[in-house]
Amino acid sequence: MKMAKPILDVQDIYTYFYTESGVVEALDGVSFDVNQGEPVGIVGESGCGKTVTAKSTLRILDKNGKTVSGKIIYKGIDLLELPDLQMRKIRGKEIAMIFQDPMTSLNPIFKIDDQMTEVIALHRDCSKKEALEYAIEALEQVGIPDPATRINDYPHQFSGGQRQRVFIARALALQPSLLIADEPTTALDVTIQAQILELIKEMQRKHGLAMMLITHNLGVVAETTKRVHIFYGGRVVESGPTEDIFIDPKHPYTRALFDSIPSLEKDKHRLATIPGLVPRLINPPKGCRFHPRCKFATEICMRERPPDVLIDKQKGRRVQCHHFEELDLHVDESTIKERSQIIEEA
Amino acid sequence: MVSTFEKYEAIDMFSEWNPKTDPIINLINLKKWFPISEQSILFSRVVAQIKAVDGVDLFLNKGETLGLVGESGCGKSTTARVAVKLEEPTEGAVYFKGIDIFQPMTREEELAIKRQLQMVFQDPYSSLNPRRMVLDLIREPFDIHFPDMTYEEKESRVLEILAKVGLEDYHALRYPHEFSGGQRQRIGIARALAIHPEVVLLDEPVSALDVSVQAQILNLLHDLQVEFNLTYMFIAHDLSVIKHVSDRVAVMYLGKIMEMSPTGELFRKTAHPYSVSLLSAIPRPDPRIKKDRIILEGDVPSPINPPSGCPFHPRCYKAQEICSKVTPNLEELEAGHFVACHFPEI
Repeated sequence: MKMAKPILDVQDIYTYFYTESGVVEALDGVSFDVNQGEPVGIVGESGCGKTVTAKSTLRILDKNGKTVSGKIIYKGIDLLELPDLQMRKIRGKEIAMIFQDPMTSLNPIFKIDDQMTEVIALHRDCSKKEALEYAIEALEQVGIPDPATRINDYPHQFSGGQRQRVFIARALALQPSLLIADEPTTALDVTIQAQILELIKEMQRKHGLAMMLITHNLGVVAETTKRVHIFYGGRVVESGPTEDIFIDPKHPYTRALFDSIPSLEKDKHRLATIPGLVPRLINPPKGCRFHPRCKFATEICMRERPPDVLIDKQKGRRVQCHHFEELDLHVDESTIKERSQIIEEA
Repeated sequence: MVSTFEKYEAIDMFSEWNPKTDPIINLINLKKWFPISEQSILFSRVVAQIKAVDGVDLFLNKGETLGLVGESGCGKSTTARVAVKLEEPTEGAVYFKGIDIFQPMTREEELAIKRQLQMVFQDPYSSLNPRRMVLDLIREPFDIHFPDMTYEEKESRVLEILAKVGLEDYHALRYPHEFSGGQRQRIGIARALAIHPEVVLLDEPVSALDVSVQAQILNLLHDLQVEFNLTYMFIAHDLSVIKHVSDRVAVMYLGKIMEMSPTGELFRKTAHPYSVSLLSAIPRPDPRIKKDRIILEGDVPSPINPPSGCPFHPRCYKAQEICSKVTPNLEELEAGHFVACHFPEI
């Protein structure tokens, strides 16, 4: 297998927020990469640092937030070192972002026309007229019927799913190389979610985009991505190919997370739960941040931060756990069989 | 302590109801339309109706969990709100233990019904008054339903129910903002269960929560159901949650019930094309499953002007001419399996 080259290489970043009640250590030494043309999943529960990672990458953090150390290498350039003016050219043109809530991510008082052509004209360096053509073409690609007329409508005239389509069209019209999709389907209904996911997958393949898909929905990750990074408490606890991670998780958190989702395939009466709550990052637990909720935790877990161990170089599997070698978290064969059996029936 | 409860249960109005044969809640051709009015300077006139619930037939048996599933805007919540007498129906009737809850009745009789019918709301952030302590929030149902109970007894009952939902005594003196989402949902559940109802309507009780916390709440609801012999109507849009909790499932679309059957039956022998598409749209948390899914085109039509005939026909892959003309009735295809479709899959 030819090793793909990472288009985005995030190296050991620390992002802090300075609030009245203290410093929030939102990202605490996060490293991961996204390869050229590859869909990668960023998974975790709320407050684990998924969105902060995306915002740190684009340098669009809130005023009280700052990435204090680390490197974010995009196509060989460290984005954190870039002057503001050049960073502006990266945003949108090189790295585009789709947000969770299609209701609030478009400006309600401007027509779709104005919102699209302005950015296109600016980033692609063309006339307004050409920009309009590109915009209509992009809308057509994402499946908006009659785009030449609809482009004159306001956002409120579109449904939630269509608004997300418009937003995707706007992002793709700039021909970015990396797409960051932050919970793009969370606000949508299942049938609309299926439409949008299909669209994102199609666009990703067609344009050979690298994609960072941020989500808490394990089903969405399983179906859309090739590789995942599991986040917990501002750290990447585990990374690797999606299939390996789902079948043979190495970190106790990953396994616990999978066990706690009710799935169509499982038919157990009680769900396995993770005791306690997602940690607050103002005064995070010492050592491994998962230790207060981990059933395998020992004394060392409370004291020392687990090292980032590369288990399988070829697959790029990494895990941050003191005990991963002793633990067998493999999802047993019967569960796997159970899962696939019911699928075949359906 | 038991005496206070018993005194109120003595109201004899449900004598004709036989728990073995009759459903505890029965909705018959229930309709709830919301008028849209146009305002001129002096007058307002009704220009259209939002047909949120448009002819729902549904029943709940004692001790079971009925899952009500559907996309946003299909009328799930409105159905529940009418069923607990928070809204008046436009047409149709709601029978609780054989009594029409909208017939004229005395205040005592009304309270006796409401005492047994409680609701848990979706958003734990907006359903609790931020200015009141947990003690006061949970005491409120006692103030309404048991006005002559002593303060000490109310207080001890509050502490008792707090313990049941997994909170501590000292939590009683805190305000809602001091709790996490999962804990707030526990408070909402405690509030509904404080006065020992028989039926609890749960309106998306876990959809605002993280997966690991969601599992805790689902387990708690299950334990409470066993302990208090509760009947649940569980509203959700997440089919995997519905499958996990329900004994029977009803699928709703645009104000109508499309299919209703025992849970296992619905997932094995899905009959309605809408249920088939809905099941197929769920992303599966197993990366090895590759399947062709049915992707529905377009959006859910507006309930102001629902399509004629079967409301699903414009998006249905099986639709024929008759579907746009004749509304299919909810018919029992097999024992306990009801379907409203001209061309069911079985």
